[in-house]
Amino acid sequence: MVALLLALQLRTITIDQRLAADAHLRVGDTVMVSATPGGGGDSVIIAAIVGRRADPSEIARSEYRAHLHLDQLQHLIGYGDRVDRFAISTHGDSSADTAVRAINNAAFGFRAYRSRDIAVETSETFAVVSRFHRAIGVITIVASAVFLLCILLLKVDERRRDVAALRLLGISRRSVMLSVVLEAAFVSVIGSGVGVVIGWVTSLAVNWHYQARYQTPLRFALVTGDIVLFAVSLSLVLGIVAGALAARRLVRTHPLVLLGR
Amino acid sequence: MRLFLAFASLRRHRARTILAVLGVAIAAAMLLDMVMLSTGMRESFRELLLSRGFQMRLTPRGTLPFDTEASIADASRITDSLRARPEIDLVSPVLGASAHVLRGDSSITTFALGVDPASQGDYQLIEGHDASDASSIVANDDFLRATNAKIGDTLRIASGYDPQLRSHSGERALVVAGRARFLYLASKQLAIAVPLRTLQQMTGAARNDRVSLFMVRLRDVNKIAEVKNWMRTALPTIDVISTADAMARVDERLSYFRQLSAILGAVSLIVGFLLVTTLVTVSVNERVGEIVVMRAIGVSRAHVVQQIVLEGTAMSVAGAVLGTGLGLVTARYLDAILSRFPGLPAAIDFFLFQPRAAWTAIGLLTACGVLAGLYPAWRAASLPLASTLREEAVA
Repeated sequence: MVALLLALQLRTITIDQRLAADAHLRVGDTVMVSATPGGGGDSVIIAAIVGRRADPSEIARSEYRAHLHLDQLQHLIGYGDRVDRFAISTHGDSSADTAVRAINNAAFGFRAYRSRDIAVETSETFAVVSRFHRAIGVITIVASAVFLLCILLLKVDERRRDVAALRLLGISRRSVMLSVVLEAAFVSVIGSGVGVVIGWVTSLAVNWHYQARYQTPLRFALVTGDIVLFAVSLSLVLGIVAGALAARRLVRTHPLVLLGR
Repeated sequence: MRLFLAFASLRRHRARTILAVLGVAIAAAMLLDMVMLSTGMRESFRELLLSRGFQMRLTPRGTLPFDTEASIADASRITDSLRARPEIDLVSPVLGASAHVLRGDSSITTFALGVDPASQGDYQLIEGHDASDASSIVANDDFLRATNAKIGDTLRIASGYDPQLRSHSGERALVVAGRARFLYLASKQLAIAVPLRTLQQMTGAARNDRVSLFMVRLRDVNKIAEVKNWMRTALPTIDVISTADAMARVDERLSYFRQLSAILGAVSLIVGFLLVTTLVTVSVNERVGEIVVMRAIGVSRAHVVQQIVLEGTAMSVAGAVLGTGLGLVTARYLDAILSRFPGLPAAIDFFLFQPRAAWTAIGLLTACGVLAGLYPAWRAASLPLASTLREEAVA
């Protein structure tokens, strides 16, 4: 009964999953919150455990998060009747612009920003990571292109005797070249298809690992239709170019020379 | 002789060899970059932390230096108790705050460090004098550029701003005594150093006798654990962060880059290995006739194996050497991208060149080249002479 009466007087807070897991806390537990380590504070009841949002800005920061009632936090940290910011919901984008202008013109000591502008400011870290990934991606594409070119040149070069035989049988240069290019294109498409599957499986592994590592629902690797289209198109173009270059060299050489005579 | 034959074989298909070397070079460049990334940022951060000899940082419990606005109370008493310890050589109390340089109706916001000039480890004086006088400051180049100030100028600097009243508080006239390079601050960040007492007075009662952190230098680095234990008992509201602890936290925060470098480094090695293996295998397949003729006229198996392994090794070494140069160029480019991380100290290099990294990359790729040549070499050396001669050479 005393415990129930006490509980009725206590305020409630929510904590995030990471804090709950690390501190072995559950809904209904009573804890003390304080503004300073070891200092006096308020006893509160954990009312809920909340999941972490998929917020990239929280990834590298292994912080815990608790939500308190505003007045309680103000009292706890001696903040008076002050807040750091207000979040305002408007009816659509145009209303947001009007509201921002109105607040900035009228309010004294405030400054209104659109969420999108703040997101641009706070996402600079991810913009840097994104630029880094793009640079690494370009290097990888160049390496893959050289590799593909090399392999396809070898593959076509291996067909010297077949090409010589076809030419000696009277098959036209154009037909031989077309068949070689088609073969190279086919190999490229099959290879890129296998690559897409490997990439997709890898992305699943990457997401599984990092989501567990950072305890976040954020997805770290995405295989989108655009990416698949780009990868397949690039390998197809490279395959056709490599096939055409090698085939051109072969059909220009005399069939007997190709046969080593 | 073996070398000559190996090079002759590579020269026979120039386009193919050039492409292969180029492919290995790109793989080597990527590998070098990834080896530099995995070790460089850690080493660079360690060098930065130890650049002024301070092995320990004391911060408000649960925080990292300047991670939050939390501060440590009773700074004078703690400073005295730290200085009284015989193991401790130097104690540097530091207070961080925002300051506003007043320019008519507008102001320029800067980061201000309250320090004890005699023991500070946050900046290196480049020109002028230290902020030893209560009304003097030292500033970095970005600050001097932004405020258009020079040594000897007097600036009106405030420590607080009330947006409700649009008024500044804690205003003082401070003289720029010197120009300095701040070690732990991000590039383009405006910064000044003010005597600790002055900044505490400017920030008012809220920061009176408070600091953001202490930096501690020990006489003997082997005493870190002992001093740490004492601090934990004597100063319960403070976290003690040694260089090793800081490195562990940095490792944790930047583990993504280490993992990325490990994965991409491994992929580079695999790509290099596959490329060389494929090329040498195809090259051997094309020369089966020649190889059996050589074997038939008495050339030993070992000779054939060595010649083929040499081909793979030569391609790998040439690619690795070319890739080292390429890797250094790309590392600079990638470092320039990552150095724009907000709040990252300008002195941190993600891609720190260490000769060991270059030797590791070249060594790994050379080993790959040797391994890549082994399989085709073994196949070539174990060809049945009579039947292969009949099929290849006679035909």
